[in-house]
This record gives sequence, C-alpha cells and structure tokens, in this order.
Amino acid sequence: MRVSSIVVGAVVLLAASGDVVPGGAAPQRRVIDAAAGRCGAGWTAGRAGRRTLLVGNSGAAVAEVTLVDAATGAVHAEVEGLAPGTVRPVRVRLGAGAYRFRCAVEDAVDPVAGPVVRVVGPGRGGPAVVPVGESDLYGPARSYRAYVTGGLGRLASRTERLRDAVHRRDRAAARAAWTPAHLAYARLGAAYGAFGDLADAVDGLPAGLPGGAGDPGFTGFHRLERGLWRGEPMAGLAPVADRLARDVRALRAAFRDERVDPADLPLRAHEILEDTLRVELTGAADQGSGTALRTVAAHLEGTREVVGVLRPVLRPRFPALAEVDAWMDRLDALLRGRSSLGALAREERGRLNGTVGRLVELLASVATIAQPRRTR
Amino acid sequence: MTGRRAFLRGALAAGATGAAGLGEPVPAGSAARPARGFHGEHQAGVLEEPARRTAVAAFDVIAGDRRELTDLMRALTERARALTSGGAPDEPGIAGPPADSGVLGPDVPGGGLLVTVGVGASLFDGRFGPAARRPPGLVRMPVFPDDDLDPAWCHGDLSVQLSAPDEDTVLHALRDITRHTRGAAQPRWRIGGFSAPPRPDGAPRNLLGFKDGTANPDPSDAREMDRLVWIGGRDPAAGGTYAAIRLIRMLVEFWDRVGLPEQERMFGRRRDTGAPLDGVHERDEPRYAEDPAGAVIPLTSHIRRANPRTAEASGRRILRRAFNYDRGMDGAGELDMGMIFTSYQRDLRAQFEAVQRRLAGEPLTDYVSPFGGGYFLVLPGVRDAADFLGRGLIT
Repeated sequence: MRVSSIVVGAVVLLAASGDVVPGGAAPQRRVIDAAAGRCGAGWTAGRAGRRTLLVGNSGAAVAEVTLVDAATGAVHAEVEGLAPGTVRPVRVRLGAGAYRFRCAVEDAVDPVAGPVVRVVGPGRGGPAVVPVGESDLYGPARSYRAYVTGGLGRLASRTERLRDAVHRRDRAAARAAWTPAHLAYARLGAAYGAFGDLADAVDGLPAGLPGGAGDPGFTGFHRLERGLWRGEPMAGLAPVADRLARDVRALRAAFRDERVDPADLPLRAHEILEDTLRVELTGAADQGSGTALRTVAAHLEGTREVVGVLRPVLRPRFPALAEVDAWMDRLDALLRGRSSLGALAREERGRLNGTVGRLVELLASVATIAQPRRTR
Repeated sequence: MTGRRAFLRGALAAGATGAAGLGEPVPAGSAARPARGFHGEHQAGVLEEPARRTAVAAFDVIAGDRRELTDLMRALTERARALTSGGAPDEPGIAGPPADSGVLGPDVPGGGLLVTVGVGASLFDGRFGPAARRPPGLVRMPVFPDDDLDPAWCHGDLSVQLSAPDEDTVLHALRDITRHTRGAAQPRWRIGGFSAPPRPDGAPRNLLGFKDGTANPDPSDAREMDRLVWIGGRDPAAGGTYAAIRLIRMLVEFWDRVGLPEQERMFGRRRDTGAPLDGVHERDEPRYAEDPAGAVIPLTSHIRRANPRTAEASGRRILRRAFNYDRGMDGAGELDMGMIFTSYQRDLRAQFEAVQRRLAGEPLTDYVSPFGGGYFLVLPGVRDAADFLGRGLIT
C-alpha cells in the first residue's frame, strides 16, 4: 500500500498500524513519506507554528528520517527505526523558512533529500541543531583515549604503592595511599562503559551482592576502604590489595586494545555526574574514608575532560556551553578544601546537590546534540 | 430549631448536588466555583476546597544573588502558569531530552492543578537584599509546647503546594517545577497528602476518624475572607496571606485503643455525624453558653478550645485546610500517618497562634505529635502575563 497516495486514508492506515495521533496541534492529514525513493512526498507547503506531521514508511526497509533546515542542514526532528508500513506523528515547531526531509535506509550510507518546502507565517521555530558526524568525534575520542591512558598509568602506580603499604601492615600509610589511588580511578569515571566487569571489581559497592559487605564478591577500592577505616586486621587485607592491584593491571592492559566508541562520549557528559548524585552525594559510597567530596571533585575533573574534548563540536551547537562552564566552576568552588560529606552543614549540602543537579540538567543535552548522526 | 435548619441545609445541598451533577454532596459554603484562571489578585489553592491529592514542598533557595532569585521567581511563575493552563510541551527536537516527563500524556491537560507558592522568613536573612524588606508579619515558626519538631522537616525559603484531583497530576507538576528550578532552589522537605471524600457527607474525615474543617469560615464570603484571610490595604504583601503549615503525626494505633466516648469528648464532636456533642447535625452550632461547666462539651475539648465562639475569637478565626498524609512507619513499626494542617490568616500571631495557645495541653495532644512545617507568606497573585510571583516584594 502506498501511503503517500492516500490522503483521506491516513486514518485507516493509522488504525491498521495501531498508532495513535495525540491531541493538541491538529495533525496534518496527509502522510509524508519517509521511504528513500519517495522521500518527503506528501509534504508540499506548511504554516509556521506547532505542527504534528504524520510521517509514514511506504518502503520495504526500515527508514531513518530527519526534518532539516534546507539552508543549514540543522535538524528539527528525527525519527529512527521507522518500520515499513508504519506512520508516526512527529511534533515540530517550525518558523518561517525552507525545510526538507532527509530519508535513509537504516545503515545505508547516503540519505536521500526530499523536495524543499516553504513554511510561511508568524511564529518562532523550535531549536534545531546541525548534526554531528561520527568523524567529528574521532578527534575528541582520540584525546579522551590519551587522557584515560595517562590516568590508568597513574592509577596503576598509585595502586602498587597502596598494595605495598597494606603488605607492610602500616595502616596509616595504607590509608594515606588509598585516597590518591582511588581518586586516580575516579577521574577516569567517564570510561566506565569501556571497563566492563573490571569496573565493578575495582570500584564496586556491596549493593547487589547476596552477602552484602561480607560477600566474597565485594572487592576493590571500597572493600579495602572498609577494612582500612573500620579496623579490620591488616593481615586480612593483603589479599584484597593484591586482587585490586591485579584488577587494575588487567584494566590497563584491556584498555590498550579497547577502542573508545565515539558515540559513548556525548553520553558520558552527564552520566558521570548522574552517578555522583546517586552514589556519592547520597553517602552510599563512603565506606569510612570520608573522602566522598574529593571523589566528587575527581568526577568533576572527568566531566571537564569530556566537555573539553567535545568543545569544538559543542561550541557552534550548544548555547548553554558557557553556562555549563560557569556551573562547573561553581561546583569546583564548593568542593575546594572539602572531603567529608558528613562535615557539610545541611545548607551546604543542599547547595552542592542543587549545583550538581543543575549541571546534569544542562549536560543532558550534550548527549542528544552530539550523538553521531548522518551529516548529509 | 436544629431540625429546621438542617432541613433547609438539606434542600440547599440537594440543589448544589443537582447543579454539579456529580452525585457527591458539596459541603455547605463551598458552592462550586468555576475553575479560575491563573492570573488574579490572589493565588489559587487557598480558598478552594482541598483537592483529593496534594504535595507540599519546602525549598531552600540556593540562587547566588538577587538576579538569580528573580530568575527563579520568574521560572516558578512561568511553570505554574504553563502547568495550570496546560497545552503542548515545547519540542526540543535533537537539542535535548523531552521537555516534559510525559506522565500526563503528550499534551498537558489544563485545569485541575492548583499551585500555591509562599516564602519563608529565612528568605529575608540578608542574602538577597536588606533584611528590613521582610514583611513584618512573616516570622519563623516557633516551637510550641506540645511540638516535637524535626529540623529536617521544618521551615524553608519557599513553599510550593500542588493540589489536583489525581496523584499523577501532582507529581508531574512537582517534577516539572524541580527540573526548571534546579540550581536555584533545592527541595528541603516534602510530603504528599490526600483529602478524603465525604464519608458519607459533610467535611472530609481525618485519620482519627473525625470530620475536619466543619467550623471553617465560608470561603465564598469575600468580605469574611478579606477580614480573616487576605492581607490588604497598603501592605506590599496585599493580596497574599500567611500560611501556617504544620505536619502533625497522629498516633493512630494508640487512638484506636481509646474508647469512643473518650475520643468524642476530646474532640467535642460525635464521631459518626460530626455533630457537636450538644447537637444533632454536623453544622449545628455548639451552645457553650448553655454548658458553662463543660458537662456536655468539655471545656478542654478540641472544638471548644479552638473556637470558643466568642465575639473576640470570631474575628480571629483561621481558614484551615487539612490534608491527611501517610508515610510508611516509624522505627517501632507503628504506622506513620497524620495530617498536613494548613491554616491561612492575615496575622499569624493574632489568629493561628491565638488558637494554638488555647489548644496547648488539650487532651488530644497525647495522640498527636507535630513534627514539622513552617510559616510562609503566600505571595499575592500574579496579575497578568508580565507579572511574576514576588515581584516587588522579594526581587
């Protein structure tokens, strides 16, 4: 069935596909085709304002379609994974201008551009973003890889020092060595997606383990922290330190062969601090060292690095970038000289939570803006 | 006499029910008002009968300076306006995650939501301008003798109450507001509550099983509201009102082990009908003059202490809006439920605190334990699209 040729039949097709057109802005009755061969067919003119466009796939392959500004290529709306025979309402807010659809068969290289359509009338348009291509992210991913590689080196040497102190049964020295080693790991936070199971082995918490903190599966920095700060005999901690040093070495070796997926990088911008909110700022992570706020500062460093390597990509696309910088500076100032969460007054803690909260709200957009897309 | 008044009320109530067509009795004095728009002299959520669902949240303002505080109040106003008006959320395209949580569907339904914003005395501690700008009537809630206040549940720079017929509407609004104010206001405490439907008629019941709010002044009487509730005259807070919010745990299991006559003497009302112990129907006026020694309605009973029906007390009445809350259990496994008591008045000292002084030591205090809350100035209403909450008062 050719959806593009059916005008009145849109309703029938919708019913058949089980889709529902939401209320609000009245949907355009005509279905706009997203099939590569008939890209944009069915859309000939438009009026500015909030619109619900019905986009359907009359082809035989799964389609990807974007609505772009014809002049700049900036994306106003995107539908991924549009199955053959289905119609999806797409809500947009368009200002006066020239627009076109771009349609692609999923995983094929070159999209097809539909006809240019003039939209007229008053009303401002919604935000549009010039898409970021995967190749735009190669440079950032390379820089980030170098950052992580350097950090892993520091982590490895500091962990050796920690292990040695534990072996000497010198609790004070071990505690003193624990914090810098753990912070070296925390600065890498962004890379946890690439670390797989080793991440849990090195920096996991008792959550999810049947035996809790006493579970043999509880290993790594926090297991050692618990032992060092809660008076466990030093002799019993030697195997824990050995295991940690071994896992860190394995991590370092594994990363040599690991590629940093450019698509992961934009997600990390807010995910590091999402974890900070959930694990550090609730107090869940602290096993006795009272260094949660230094960990938060390390996570901020990791976030700064991600934002830093993405900066060339973000600068022309992300209007809130300066605001992000300002809030990162604010967070930095709140954390300076701080270590223990428990030492904060209630108001200080609220300010800290709110500052991190504001940052993750702002950084969430990096994930959608810098997600790699077709650029032409 | 009592019976005749009751008959008239019955007829009126039937009329109101017929008009509303809902088959639910409308409490006297709450003639169904048309849903009001967002703009007006007063904020919504004060005069309206308690909605079925509510959330009360206090925030600490963490804005860095007065400009950021102004941005916060503008954002709060803009969200309150958008949430109560409803409509299609903004479309972020690929520029960000969805602008709306989607909890209420693709279009936010308007109506039904009431947003009421207040400010606490702590907002005027000098962080955002001279402390002298604090409205003199706005003070910090004191500790009353029967209180057991938990600092984690007290005070705040801002109060936001969200009420609606449905819980999803309330939580949608709360998420939207915290999202849009993050970095400027940080939640300090919050509690959810509900108002019971009439069981079987009249004022809703609290979790001690008694009707609550029967003796309220009539919110549809504008003169009465101007006299008792709304700040007026040349006061910069004119159009606002002072709210005393009190989070009161009820020791319901203990209460359930108390004999009915004793329960009723503590309240001064019948549990089944809500009638004063010397009356037949819920809205019968107690006749204290005929019972000077408290043989029928004890002198220490809640209703007699709260409102002795003297001329002096009449001018100092409060508009009370109570919601029930339920928040799990305490460390001893006792059910933690109770009341979000809110009273509105022009003058906290002369009205709420006068009632509070009279109630001190009443027998009921053994069964209730106030643990939180605060005093807030419910800001004047937002006049038009250019106006915002607190304009001129705090910004």
